[in-house]
Amino acid sequence: MEKRLIKKEALAGIAKKMAEEFLVWAPVKKEDNVLFEPLQKDGEPYLAYLNSKNAPKNVFFPHTETLMKYTRTEKGMAFSSEENKAAESVLFGVRPCDAHSFALLDMLFDQDKYKDAYYIAKRLNTTVISMACVKPPYASCFCTSVDGEPVSSEGADVLLTDIGSDYLVEFITAKGEKLTRYFGDTKADAAADTRKEEIAAKAKEAIQSKIPAHEVKPILDVNFDNPFWNTIHSKCLACGTCTYMCPTCHCFDISDEVKGADGVRIRSWDSCMFPLFTKETSGHNPRTSQKERWRQRAMHKFKYYVDNFNAIACVGCGRCVMSCPVNIDIRKIVEDISKL
Amino acid sequence: MQNPYIPYPVVVDKIITEVDTKDIKTFRFKFVNPEDEEKYAYIPGQFGELSIFGKGESPIGIASSPTQKGYVEFTVQKAGVVTTALHEMEEGTLMGLRGPLGNSWPLEYLEGKNIVIVGGGFAFTTLRSLINYMIHDDNRKRFGNITVIYGARTPGLLLYKDELEEWGKRSDLNLNVTVDKGDATWKGREGFVPTVCKEVAPSKENAVAVICGPPIMIRFTLPVFFEIGFSKENIITSLEMRMKCGIGKCGRCNVGSKYVCKDGPVFSLAELDQLTPEY
Repeated sequence: MEKRLIKKEALAGIAKKMAEEFLVWAPVKKEDNVLFEPLQKDGEPYLAYLNSKNAPKNVFFPHTETLMKYTRTEKGMAFSSEENKAAESVLFGVRPCDAHSFALLDMLFDQDKYKDAYYIAKRLNTTVISMACVKPPYASCFCTSVDGEPVSSEGADVLLTDIGSDYLVEFITAKGEKLTRYFGDTKADAAADTRKEEIAAKAKEAIQSKIPAHEVKPILDVNFDNPFWNTIHSKCLACGTCTYMCPTCHCFDISDEVKGADGVRIRSWDSCMFPLFTKETSGHNPRTSQKERWRQRAMHKFKYYVDNFNAIACVGCGRCVMSCPVNIDIRKIVEDISKL
Repeated sequence: MQNPYIPYPVVVDKIITEVDTKDIKTFRFKFVNPEDEEKYAYIPGQFGELSIFGKGESPIGIASSPTQKGYVEFTVQKAGVVTTALHEMEEGTLMGLRGPLGNSWPLEYLEGKNIVIVGGGFAFTTLRSLINYMIHDDNRKRFGNITVIYGARTPGLLLYKDELEEWGKRSDLNLNVTVDKGDATWKGREGFVPTVCKEVAPSKENAVAVICGPPIMIRFTLPVFFEIGFSKENIITSLEMRMKCGIGKCGRCNVGSKYVCKDGPVFSLAELDQLTPEY
């Protein structure tokens, strides 16, 4: 594996240099929030960020995306084109938890039988550069409970680790190695590796928040009808913020829009928290109240995804914990389930 | 790589109004590109997404049998935005069709067995596909006795009346058609499907029951089959859920760790017992 060292102050310039040549999604400051957005010509990546307000899943799975276009003909609406172009791009500076989420989303969108061409095209054309968390950004971080680590290269093509005055740059994949030319020519020495290992161990230890995410799987297997499910949803507003913030939530809607003679079929993020999500034309709704919807969310993350892909669909970023307007805390829910 | 979100262009070739209330019609589609018909190779029990540009998509069971070449048929009740638009269409209209989606009736499992088909009302469509498949000359000898019990509320609500008449003439198919309430011209059987099942009392020996109908019919029909001695492995049904993508990604037809669109819609009762009761 190719490894380089770069001076810390050089990093912003590297991102900007890349942005001259292709699309670079980088953390940028927007009022009080940090968001991953395309880096503009005169834009500056915001490198003092803890983590972005929203998960960067929108790079591969946009809020709204055109699946196809059609146009009106004499005989009805005719299919005119499909939208499936992905520009060569770099996702610069995602945290390891969010990079982990890409590996989880791949399991769903890139299955053997049905491949999601839109997602896959963007994944293939995007190089992910992760920025290790040498200090866990939030007290609510719990990546180590869900198969993650604050210094981890999972889901990343390049991993940057702050080892003091330098960043250690590790080119994890062949796709990542195509970017070596931007990172100077100082080869990393063994001392840098050792330093990184120390930092990684320390960062891991600093993650204080822990949940029994693996332990609850056998409990969830047999507790679909447990009265416990009556206890968590009553204050839920069904706003869907948790699912919109979540790096691994991937439910979507497909709808048609027409203007004049032309139309588009789009897909947009949807949420299992919404009452209409499962409501059928007949009026029948298999998930009748917020109780069933919350059970679905918890089950999907800690049981169903494990059943299907042998992976927990949570990366421990804590966004849902921080963003819920009524302080529903998935950590507490998992903790409580472990005691059933 | 075939993009599973993009429909095949099809033309509405023929529209048959099935019922006297005129809200259930069979739509026969022909593929605009003849090579697409081959790509749309399906098995009875699968479904498709009927795709009306500007309105959306609706998942509907395939009502024709793969033994019927040159077209594919769907019987659709007028209910929501897409199906209403479909009902207003004229022959010759261009639209889209995705699929075939989902698993299917388990043909390999059914082979060599006596088949009991129980259908109620409008849920008879994929059963019709299965019946036409099994009685086709190429396939008939692969299956044992075929018993069909089909009921509708009134004679006017029976689907596929011409076919029912043809099937009634066959010696290799035991057809039992019933209506909840007959009318002046109805000479057939009256009675609810569960009652007729009891009367017909199909043998459980080497038999599989394939049951599809409204929940109320299913609820009262299952005990009849349990009493005869059918095991849960040998009672097979098909589920419906709200769907969008049809390929196990959009998340809304999730029942436990299964997706009705991709892992279903066909399940045995034994399999349903393993699922969470959320459908």
